[in-house]
Amino acid sequence: MSSSSPHALTAHWKKFLALGVVALAVVWYFACVGVAHHENRQALSVLVGSLFWISVLIGMLMLTMITRVFDAGWAPLIRRNWELLIVALPVVILLGVVPLAFSTGFRHALWDWTDAAHVLPGGHTVGHDPILQAKSWFLNEKFFLIRVGLYVLVFGVLVTLLRRWSFAQDTDRTAGHTHRLHAVSAVGIPLSAVTLTMLAFDCLMALSYHWFSTMYGVWFFALSIRLALAVTVILTYKLSNGGWLDGLLNQAHRHVLGCLMLAFTVFWAYISFSQYFLIYTANIPEETFWYNIREIDAATGEKSQWWSVSMYLIFGFFLLPFLTLLFYRTKIVAGRLLTVAWIILVGGIVDLWFNALPRQVYDKSTPEGFVVTPFLTSSLFLDLVSIIGFGGIVFALFLRGAAKQETIPVHDPRILESINYHE
Amino acid sequence: MNERNERIHGVACTFRKVSDVFHAAEKVRDAGWKNWDVHTPFPIHGMDQAMGLPRSPVPRLTLLGGVTGFITGCLLTWYTNSYDYPLIVGGKPYWSVIFPFPVLYECTILFAAFGTFFGQFIFNRLPRHNHPLFDLPNFARVSDDTFMIVLEARDPRFHLDESRNFLQSLGGQEITVIRD
Repeated sequence: MSSSSPHALTAHWKKFLALGVVALAVVWYFACVGVAHHENRQALSVLVGSLFWISVLIGMLMLTMITRVFDAGWAPLIRRNWELLIVALPVVILLGVVPLAFSTGFRHALWDWTDAAHVLPGGHTVGHDPILQAKSWFLNEKFFLIRVGLYVLVFGVLVTLLRRWSFAQDTDRTAGHTHRLHAVSAVGIPLSAVTLTMLAFDCLMALSYHWFSTMYGVWFFALSIRLALAVTVILTYKLSNGGWLDGLLNQAHRHVLGCLMLAFTVFWAYISFSQYFLIYTANIPEETFWYNIREIDAATGEKSQWWSVSMYLIFGFFLLPFLTLLFYRTKIVAGRLLTVAWIILVGGIVDLWFNALPRQVYDKSTPEGFVVTPFLTSSLFLDLVSIIGFGGIVFALFLRGAAKQETIPVHDPRILESINYHE
Repeated sequence: MNERNERIHGVACTFRKVSDVFHAAEKVRDAGWKNWDVHTPFPIHGMDQAMGLPRSPVPRLTLLGGVTGFITGCLLTWYTNSYDYPLIVGGKPYWSVIFPFPVLYECTILFAAFGTFFGQFIFNRLPRHNHPLFDLPNFARVSDDTFMIVLEARDPRFHLDESRNFLQSLGGQEITVIRD
């Protein structure tokens, strides 16, 4: 115990910050060069990288509020780590989505509907698209930018309140903070639900704006909770081996996280399948094209790379974690739970790729009038650099916070119940 | 096995404190007993480990039920829609795994629930209308303020006098012989 105190980790925050800044500089450099050459794939790397962490952090924000509202006895020990992390949520939106949306070049490159001169499959331009005109009460640039601003504001305010009163309790030992946080969470859950739905609409669904799905917000929520739990399992494992959870994290904590991972794996599958199922059953072209471009090569009619990606989602992101998490021992043996968490983390990135990357590019030489961007490109590496970059910022903020605040909510009324939590 | 043991269900012994019954249970476990039980007015955390109880086998029947349900759903939709009376609905294939999926997973859930429900009946040996323990005059107190350990006669370690002494050495208060 002498050489490394549980808080020695926090000294690494500068390394994470340096990593984040360098990686983000690289990604933004390529994104700028790409847009200057009328390519948007590199800008999508910025979007995917930021959305990955936005998803993780929204999941943690929701888990923080849900455990507050339900007075979860197991939660305080783990929730403090969520509270230390979620401060990064508005920051990641500010460093990723906000510059993409507010700079005209990036906006036009990523969100076709903002560029009136953009040519659609079939040869007409966005400016003459009746579908866009019908949606323009929502999809207009002014309202879009206001919404992006609101994401920062709403999440920023919620995160600030949830952290302030929780940290205040460490010093003034007032139980009233718990009641106050209970109330904030009760308001915050529906507010966040609306905000994250709009964010999913704007940042992912509107990338192919002809398409629409009412399940989309719920899908994004399910993905967010899955990713948040996976990151939580990995982080708490690390923190229980030489960090501030050393000797505190027990089998029952792993079990409850494992059960939640199983529940939200099923929920994600339920939502994703329902979305597919309704579109498959109704079989109307306005909706089916979204899945068609993710399955069939428009030029040849053969199955495309995206078909393999969708198969990976079914078998690698649903079936494998589902079947392994059914077993009790997967949920309590640290190594096994950790493996499943990594599988979910990788699957989450693939799911974001599946939703963000495929695009129809106008090409009059093909029978369908467009080609679909392929999955396998060297830019996948740029996506990973982007994820590492935003991750560096997230963990720099996390460790900086951990150095300043209590890493265990020592005066939470339920902290003893949480530490002694039993299956 | 002697004549007397056949008429005896076991030996019961009461405890006044949680810690007493908990540590006594650990000693009974360590002595290698298999057929015995602890009765308490409320759940005691960690008692499963103190008694050396394995996990419940019910989830295996749940899984078995779920798999059976999935296969039943597949057969039902395949037989009705594709084999017995082939019918095209909404331009979909006669049978694929997609369109009947709600049926498949509902059957999975239903049969898994059957597996769980009937599984617990089987493993709890229910229904059972009476039990020799109910004849103990003070048995009702284990739902109030008393803890009880019962060593059953069907355990190969059971021998009336030795078992009595064993319970006494564990710090038991009232020791009673239960007759069938």
